[in-house]
Amino acid sequence: MEVRHVYRWDLDKTYLRTDFDTLRGLLRAAREKASAKVNVAGSRALVRALQERPGARVAIISGSPRQMRRKLEEKFRLDGVEIDELVLKPNVENIVRGRFRAIRDQVGYKLPALLEGRSRVPSTASETLFGDDAEADAFVYSLYADIVEHRISAAQLSPILELCGVYDDDAERALRFASNLPMGPPIERIFIHLDGYSPPARFEAYGRRVVPIYNYFQAAILLLLDGHIGPGAIVRLAVELTQGYGYSLVSLANSFQDLVRRGLARAEDLGAIRLAFEAHAALIEKLRPASEVVQAFVDRLKMVSGMKPARVRDEAPIDYLAILGREGPPNTWRRRRRPKPRRRDLPF
Amino acid sequence: MPPPTIAFDAMGGEFAPTEIVRGAARLSLETDLDIILVGDAPRLAALLGGMRHNAERIALHHAPQWIRPEENAAEALDAKPDGSLLQAARLVASGQADALVTAGPTRALLLACDRTMRLLPGTEKAALAAVFPTELRRGEKDDPFSLVLDVGASLEASGADLVRFALMGASYARVISKNPVPRVALLSGGAELEWEHPAILAAHAHLERLAGIEYLGRIEGHLIPRGTADVVVTSGTVGAVVMRMLEGMAQTVLDLARYAYHERLSWRLGFTMVAGALQQLKRLTDWEEYGGAPLLGFDRVVIRADPRSGARAIANAGKVAAKAVAHQVPGAIADRLHLHAFGEGFERGRAAEG
Repeated sequence: MEVRHVYRWDLDKTYLRTDFDTLRGLLRAAREKASAKVNVAGSRALVRALQERPGARVAIISGSPRQMRRKLEEKFRLDGVEIDELVLKPNVENIVRGRFRAIRDQVGYKLPALLEGRSRVPSTASETLFGDDAEADAFVYSLYADIVEHRISAAQLSPILELCGVYDDDAERALRFASNLPMGPPIERIFIHLDGYSPPARFEAYGRRVVPIYNYFQAAILLLLDGHIGPGAIVRLAVELTQGYGYSLVSLANSFQDLVRRGLARAEDLGAIRLAFEAHAALIEKLRPASEVVQAFVDRLKMVSGMKPARVRDEAPIDYLAILGREGPPNTWRRRRRPKPRRRDLPF
Repeated sequence: MPPPTIAFDAMGGEFAPTEIVRGAARLSLETDLDIILVGDAPRLAALLGGMRHNAERIALHHAPQWIRPEENAAEALDAKPDGSLLQAARLVASGQADALVTAGPTRALLLACDRTMRLLPGTEKAALAAVFPTELRRGEKDDPFSLVLDVGASLEASGADLVRFALMGASYARVISKNPVPRVALLSGGAELEWEHPAILAAHAHLERLAGIEYLGRIEGHLIPRGTADVVVTSGTVGAVVMRMLEGMAQTVLDLARYAYHERLSWRLGFTMVAGALQQLKRLTDWEEYGGAPLLGFDRVVIRADPRSGARAIANAGKVAAKAVAHQVPGAIADRLHLHAFGEGFERGRAAEG
């Protein structure tokens, strides 16, 4: 079947709960068995739901080393998830070639990989992207989306890559793919899983396409409204979150209220969720009777009735150079230190 | 058991709503409490959007009005039925939230609770408590503070009120500090009985024969910081004056130290050498560490944070509220008051028979 929609996922902190902030965490991630790897709450259920859509393709681009391929493929098998494309980072090659900057580099690795992946699908295929707030996913994905939509030319891309500190050969690859890429439909959404609870406002510079989410229930609501998943999928996800990951009905209702407050969903969208819960009442019974579940959502909505949702910003082009000027090269974003405490006049 | 839900009056306090939202955001990352921020929702949402927080644990409750400290509390509550404090109190009274935390004006808090909640049977007045850091530690938890009440909920207190305050304070100390037999004292102006306020004399006579607490008698103000008593009972006006004075003195000491630090190099060196010990002392006497103190006497948990509260104090006030909910403080107080009322009735009956 022809590919109609591509769901591109990052792996660590987006699909899998991985700790790569410490050396110990990195070593553990490399050594642990496939069965020991833990999913981000709801990621498996969501990928499975997305796969049910005819013409869907799931691609994963990860910064994990290529040596982990077999383990990761086994993990996907255990999850019952079929991955159409799994791209891993050539870390060993980078070390052998003395390209140490590339080990941390996100843009020089991910952007060419995304563009290469794009060249393998029909130009009519639309896309939804999933990343996290640990590194520079919002930046790389937005850049990729703008290239696909022909909002950024190769000439504009070049200084951006230079400021990102991308190696020349990686930049050349990215520019080559970008120049040859036929214009595609807009990238629908870029979901950023707030694994580190980054302030959502941090992503405002990337426009409305980038959607920071606290959990995959929020993503599922928007994907349900966009017609990517069916009502059964959102109910299954809600049940999985509550039964397997310690979520409560209140936290799900709060998640919906958060979307409404941020102007990402409307109060009227509760109708679609209500229909989903009522249509799958037997499934949701595992959590609570459907009417109670819906009531919890209604109660949370009532709390903000009369409140105008956040103002939707005019869609202005993303100023990547300004972002880089403000925040520095993306490979430094993860280890950015907290501001030093203010000096006090007294030592106590 | 699901985690307690804490309703914060996000518009109350000198640094509201920013510091209240920051405190709640912090709490959402540190604990599994459910939080409801009551206030000007668009403003709160904008603030939240700019800070690290867990949106799964925070709901906003829109309240388009709020009470300012300079307003007359009763008139403001009448004029602003959708005020943040009143709405937060309603959420708690209706069971949608388990506890209320506010750094708003005391009088308005008292009236809001009075209009929405019920006083516990056997209580005629609520008492606002405050914690004061002390030399001595107490209870299973080694708590380094004593409880002073009432510090401003009511202007006057009768002897019977003071006895009830003592019982409420002792119940609180028993469940929160895990102090099985709290030492209770009445705050007194001096040792001479003839100069004592009649209400204190009446309470003194009553408390002396009360079981279940260790009554120390009347103590003077200078013994509060020493920690002689775990629960210090007084009337609202006196309590408020005493607490403000003690806090002011602590601040003066710090200001003097700051002055001295800048005055001479040798003094600066001396301060630097004892900086560790002074830091420890500062931590111990830091009111923000204790977050807030309870308003006792209502059938719901109500915690009042200092109006100057910053994010840390607000987060800690939330934790105090959660602890009070978990230990069912109003229930424990109600049980103690019930027991007391029963004892009183029994005594009266026996006296009548005799």
